[in-house]
Amino acid sequence: MHNTLFKINTISELPQVAKYIANASLQHSIFCFYGEMGAGKTTLIKLITTLLGVNNKVTSPTYSLVNEYSTIHNTTVYHFDFYRINAVSEAYDMGFEEYAYSGNICLIEWPQNITELLPPHLCINIDKTADTSRTISISEVM
Amino acid sequence: MQTTNVITLAIESSCDDTSCAVLINNRVLSNVVTNQEIHNLYGGVVPELASRAHQQNIVPAVDAALKKANMSLHDVTYVAYTNGPGLMGSLLVGASFAKGLALALNKPLVEVNHMQGHYMAHFIATESSTSIPPFPFLCLTVSGGHTQILLIKNHFEVIILGETLDDAAGEAFDKVAKTLQLPYPGGPLVDKYAQQGNPKAHIFAKPKVDGHNFSFSGFKTSVLNYINKQKQTDADFVTNNMADICASAQHTIISMLMKNVLACANEYNIKHIALAGGVAANSQLRKEITALQQHGYTTYIPAFEYCTDNAAMIGITAYYKYLNNDLGTQQACPQPRMAL
Repeated sequence: MHNTLFKINTISELPQVAKYIANASLQHSIFCFYGEMGAGKTTLIKLITTLLGVNNKVTSPTYSLVNEYSTIHNTTVYHFDFYRINAVSEAYDMGFEEYAYSGNICLIEWPQNITELLPPHLCINIDKTADTSRTISISEVM
Repeated sequence: MQTTNVITLAIESSCDDTSCAVLINNRVLSNVVTNQEIHNLYGGVVPELASRAHQQNIVPAVDAALKKANMSLHDVTYVAYTNGPGLMGSLLVGASFAKGLALALNKPLVEVNHMQGHYMAHFIATESSTSIPPFPFLCLTVSGGHTQILLIKNHFEVIILGETLDDAAGEAFDKVAKTLQLPYPGGPLVDKYAQQGNPKAHIFAKPKVDGHNFSFSGFKTSVLNYINKQKQTDADFVTNNMADICASAQHTIISMLMKNVLACANEYNIKHIALAGGVAANSQLRKEITALQQHGYTTYIPAFEYCTDNAAMIGITAYYKYLNNDLGTQQACPQPRMAL
């Protein structure tokens, strides 16, 4: 897969990006979402989880660190948020590796706080170009 | 089954804090939340989060709670623990410990849903008999991880009338604080600055959602965009307007909460309104909930130590489950996404 770039003007164009990422779940299980606060990481992840068949409410895991969802296909999806992590050891201690190498899909917000622990993954970078427009670049990190 | 002088040993380890409480019937004898002070007694520092921390904390917490209650393990009638929702690794520590203890002591086990614990905190016996709400009542549970409006029909029959579709209210406070470069968790600091500010100075978006649900993600983005825009013309905007921004943001969050609570109270014709969860510490929220008393409502706010994550609320929930003969099993497994 090559680097892919989406330029969107409003949130109404976000589903096509979600579709592209959800399709990539055939080759990838780890998805890292970069972007400042308010960039739309959770919003994009919500759309992706719907496409993956998640049948739970998808909410922000900032406090819980990880939300576990089940899908209509009887699979599990993990939704992480490392926003409030101060040291990589804290991610170690919560058992991140067990989740990451479980083979289940992992959608990770604020992965920059646990860089050392990240297996090969798909990197999704959301750049806020104006209040509603975004540039979203997607690339593989091996 | 023993029903008089029931001694509950309750363990809570669903998120950051390890907590242990001892209750006699519905009265709390001790409620220990692991902190530096307790850890100093045993050496070492308290790691900030994670299951390994619970592993280190759990024995000191249980030991301290028993000592404080002047009880020994053999006085305990049964062992209660949180089995969800929360972090799997963290829940497992409490669950395994509680199961092992119950097995060794040959005592019953009771499993508790953490979210149930938050509203059940209202049933902890206190000095004043008027502090326990009568059924049915509404409970607004607001914390770093949760935002729910509950209709409590009896101890165990609950309807969720509204909840957040994205961020929790406590998270909205913390993220506003982050935008203002205040340290995490910044909710209490926003409250502090807001006391000197004008709540009408700045206008932030109040996203509209279906029913009595909440969305705080759009609000967060609105604060962020507004501040970034202001910074372009005034680099010191945040520093110069800290109190007003905090007051306005806090006002927006609380008015969203209050609007839905009142709508629910009207729709279900409920006159008793209770508050639960860590955000119950917010002074403005307390003020506005309490002010409902002037409009014919009776309001209830538990002591703060029973609002943040604590084992006493797990203990009181377990006590009512125990009386109901709703016992747990050694086969139970924690459920990270357990719903109410």
